[in-house]
Amino acid sequence: MTETNSFKLLTRRRFDSSSLVVLWNQDVGRLGPKIADYLTRGLKCKVLAEVSPEGFFSLGGVTVENDVAQFPESKFLGCKNRNLVIFKSDIPRLDWYGFINIILDAAQKYFKIKEIYTVGGMVLPGAHTAQRTVLSVVNSPNMKKKLAAYDVVHNMDYETRDEQRPTFSSYILWAARNRNIPGACLWVPVPFYLMTVEDPQACKKVIELLDEHLKLGINFKDVDSDILELNQKIEQVREQSPELDGYISKLESNLGLTAEEGEKLVKDMDELLRGSHLT
Amino acid sequence: MGVRIYKAPKLVNPVLIACWPGIGNIGIMAVDMLRRMVAAEELGEIESFEFFYPRKVVIKDGELKSLEFPHNKFYFKKTAGKDLLFFIGEEQPTESGGAYAEGIKAYKMANLVVDVAVRFGCKRIYTSGAAVAPIHHTTRSRVWVVPNMSDLLNEVRSYENTILMSEVEGRDGQGNITGLNGLLLGVAKKRGLEAICVMGEIPIYVHGFPIPYPKGSKAVLEVLGVALGLKISVDEVDALIQQSDSEIESVYEKLPPEIKEQLDKLKYVVYSKPPKPITEEDKRKILQEIDKLFKKDAGTD
Repeated sequence: MTETNSFKLLTRRRFDSSSLVVLWNQDVGRLGPKIADYLTRGLKCKVLAEVSPEGFFSLGGVTVENDVAQFPESKFLGCKNRNLVIFKSDIPRLDWYGFINIILDAAQKYFKIKEIYTVGGMVLPGAHTAQRTVLSVVNSPNMKKKLAAYDVVHNMDYETRDEQRPTFSSYILWAARNRNIPGACLWVPVPFYLMTVEDPQACKKVIELLDEHLKLGINFKDVDSDILELNQKIEQVREQSPELDGYISKLESNLGLTAEEGEKLVKDMDELLRGSHLT
Repeated sequence: MGVRIYKAPKLVNPVLIACWPGIGNIGIMAVDMLRRMVAAEELGEIESFEFFYPRKVVIKDGELKSLEFPHNKFYFKKTAGKDLLFFIGEEQPTESGGAYAEGIKAYKMANLVVDVAVRFGCKRIYTSGAAVAPIHHTTRSRVWVVPNMSDLLNEVRSYENTILMSEVEGRDGQGNITGLNGLLLGVAKKRGLEAICVMGEIPIYVHGFPIPYPKGSKAVLEVLGVALGLKISVDEVDALIQQSDSEIESVYEKLPPEIKEQLDKLKYVVYSKPPKPITEEDKRKILQEIDKLFKKDAGTD
């Protein structure tokens, strides 16, 4: 790779044909940071390297979210005794292609990756009790074959609409294909009213797939306990608010909500669920 | 190139208080007063020529004697409680000519400040700035507090006369802290240090005035005093408040009656979630009037 000031290797560890999982801090249902948290805690991952924010983020101050100052982070984490590398990062604001090349250069040179998986949430216009299925978008027929063995929808058709832009995960997948690195974007549905809070059920769906496919040996205790806690909290909300219960019941019966009803459900759930340790 | 440290004091459990100029000079005035109050000694500096354009040349007898750059100095003070380390920057490094730091130079400077903090064993940093708020200049400024770790929220909540972003109407806990007083929080977070930014309120219609706002500085000083366990003397800042109050009043009196009437509503805003006394349109008109007033005054000086 081209040595730059942007990439800093902090720990040298031998990898051979590892898998890279890319997780973004900005994701619906806080999917990226939560999955990173479950994996790094469960697999005792350590920071291997980081990408400096210079040139990729504005650095004109800090943003404040939930009363706390935030700062862009982009780090590689390695999991002991598993050939797994996680890249957890904020999505860059500038020089996207340069950023992608730094990730892929480092992943190939230092972590010897053989494949790449990115994870993202997609908004589900349904209830949290609905069955979730992971959708995959691959960059090679081989990867499609690999994932065919799992409960994954792998025949999605989609085109970016005029007013939208491709996701950053798609950008990475394309760049990986140009280097002959097989890869897949794993998309998991997140109910629209959990977009701004957390959705451990969606996290579990992805982790289960990664666990099975990459033979990680994950202990699901933490994520199961978070799912239970969130479900109990939603049940309490439903008991206390017949209006919100009615909206969720409609969704469970596959009925749509009006724009106003949907907005109220999002707003109220955000207010009621924020403050639980899950958020 | 970088940092020059002149002394090697042994500091115990030190805390860094860092500040650069910003709106109403609220933060820098408070931090510099605190530095003088505790009689902190000069410790070192960040070499400025890498970051700034020179601000003064001295030529004598046709010979260039010196070129002066904005100062960026460190100070220290050993106390009975926490030892103190100060950093005071006279200007924010910027790559686009704006007033607030941004870009690679800003990031580099923030890292140099954190380098010194780490070198002397600091685990906590305070920065300070201004919070532009819908308040009246006759009311007491509060202090908006933003920590860089959620573990610090309970502590900052306990400081008197402070509010969190989530307690400010319409913010929902979100916002931005521009410039180095904010960026330093981020860099500290990245490097595992606790940091808290304390921002004194400045009335929305005063923040464009070309004068400092010591009332906001006093509020910051009081919070820093409690946070650092220091007894603060407010005599100096009170004298400045008296002076600035009369300057603001003289401008205020010149405002058109309908604008004053709008601004007077702010006197009755006593909490952070007011019943929206001034609309965005009102705000725009008020700021335009104030701008006009200053342009007029500047022309007659």
